[in-house]
Amino acid sequence: MCAGLAVERRAIPDELVEKYHLHDRLVTRGDGPPEIQFHFRAKVPLLPVQHANQFDIFLWGNRDDKKSKLPRTGWCKIESLEAGKWKYLHPVEVEIPCSYGLEKGVWFQVQEGFKGIMVNDEKGIPHVYMLTQPASHYYEVMTRHDREPVFIGKSI
Amino acid sequence: MKKGSIIAHLDADCFYVSCERIRNAGLKGKPVGVLGNQGACIIAKSYELRAKGVATGIPIWDAHRLCPEAIYVKRDFQWYEVLSRLMLDLIKTYSLTVEYYSIDELFFDASLLPIAFQSSMLDAAKALQQRILKEIGLPVTIGIAETKLLAKLASDTAKPFGCTVWLNPEDRKALLKEKPVSDITGIAKRREKTLQSYGIYTCDQFVAADRKLIRKLVTKMGEDMWWELNGISVLPLQTERPPHKMVARGGSIGAASADRLRIEGWLIRNVERLVDALDHYGYVADQLGLYLGYKEGFGSYGSTNLLAPTALFEDLAPAVRALFDYAFHEGKKIHYIHIIAEHLQFKDHAQRSLFEKEKTRPTQTAIMRQVNASAGRFAVRSAATLPLPDIYSDIANDYDICDVYGKSCF
Repeated sequence: MCAGLAVERRAIPDELVEKYHLHDRLVTRGDGPPEIQFHFRAKVPLLPVQHANQFDIFLWGNRDDKKSKLPRTGWCKIESLEAGKWKYLHPVEVEIPCSYGLEKGVWFQVQEGFKGIMVNDEKGIPHVYMLTQPASHYYEVMTRHDREPVFIGKSI
Repeated sequence: MKKGSIIAHLDADCFYVSCERIRNAGLKGKPVGVLGNQGACIIAKSYELRAKGVATGIPIWDAHRLCPEAIYVKRDFQWYEVLSRLMLDLIKTYSLTVEYYSIDELFFDASLLPIAFQSSMLDAAKALQQRILKEIGLPVTIGIAETKLLAKLASDTAKPFGCTVWLNPEDRKALLKEKPVSDITGIAKRREKTLQSYGIYTCDQFVAADRKLIRKLVTKMGEDMWWELNGISVLPLQTERPPHKMVARGGSIGAASADRLRIEGWLIRNVERLVDALDHYGYVADQLGLYLGYKEGFGSYGSTNLLAPTALFEDLAPAVRALFDYAFHEGKKIHYIHIIAEHLQFKDHAQRSLFEKEKTRPTQTAIMRQVNASAGRFAVRSAATLPLPDIYSDIANDYDICDVYGKSCF
């Protein structure tokens, strides 16, 4: 899977940083340029999303709302999507652009980002789930997890 | 033996990480580790990661404990070779004698640098360093001295992103003083211990010692080091790679496996790589060796004489299969495979064999080579490699450090 990700600060428009209070998620490693990190365990789990030629920030899955019809997770297995198990939610494919992914504490470089799906809850609020697939041998050794995100472009 | 040489050693600073930073500027200043192809070990690291105590070769889970915020990148030797060759080409515009020592290190005759840059040797080295940074994006360190060994020691001393010139005996003396003898390339633990037992702990003690004693203690190689550290050049710049004693291809097969079809797939992939290397260097082999490393920790090695000196896939693949059938412990998981071409001769001057068959039609190797020349390296592969779909899907498996040809070291 992938429990967190990071985007270079310069890649996120200032208005989105303001609107979603992303200052709290600003992190610097070493002397490098700042990043904004998105964690599923954050107070409000959010994801950066590229959809319909627009870059925006959406809720990451459904972590806490027990009453919602949405699945209580942040990830969607590509096998279940392909089997039609998410059909009732009318999922739309989106992209989750990022520079680095986080799995079991290990940060790894990502070329472009991950694939995801967007679904609306009962109130019409969009939520984004990260698509996952069986992990490659490399990913499994690196992160010790048997599933990996579906990468956009080159996988690792 | 030569006096008065001016040799530069150019060493790219944390080369693999620097290459990654060229295509991802976001990695600059951050702790970065480059992982080997299996995702398990750190094969290169940034200075920021090294500062946290992470050493090359350690597993990622140990590195993660030392530096949780580190970012890990998968190695890409094709990209690193592109930048390495750009660096080599740029240096060749300043020197006619360049040794491509390794993917990130070059030695070259620096005597024309001051003329090229119209400045002192040190300023010329700094200007060259800046040019490499500006045009290619790679930070490098340059050491200049009278011999290769001194130049290497000089650049090691100046790292990272330094320039240093040791061309007079006073500089040399000052810099060798109290430097541990283990700083000399080629003096590892065993030799260091031998030297220490004779009271030689530092480089200045090494150069002041009797030459014959050094030869007795650390062989002819040690004597060459003694000359070089005394400013007498005995190790020439090798503008062409010296002939190999053997050529090997192989390594880890990723997840250990006892599946015969999968192991045979790896064997044949490595034969294809070996044929490619032999073809590149123009060798034929008289003998073929196979090493199998088992997950349980033991390994086995065997070799076979070939009927005639060959570099053909259709000769080497059956020989490897025969070795494997003989050596494989059924049911035991294999982790490493190495296929070694031994007793090499240059194809054009090879001793012919009584068992050699006349080739009346194009060989399988020739046909594969012809197709691959137009469709891309390894575009045509043996069907025996098909049980490895996961390896096919990861193009990083097609290129390894040994596929960067022409280096004089490894």
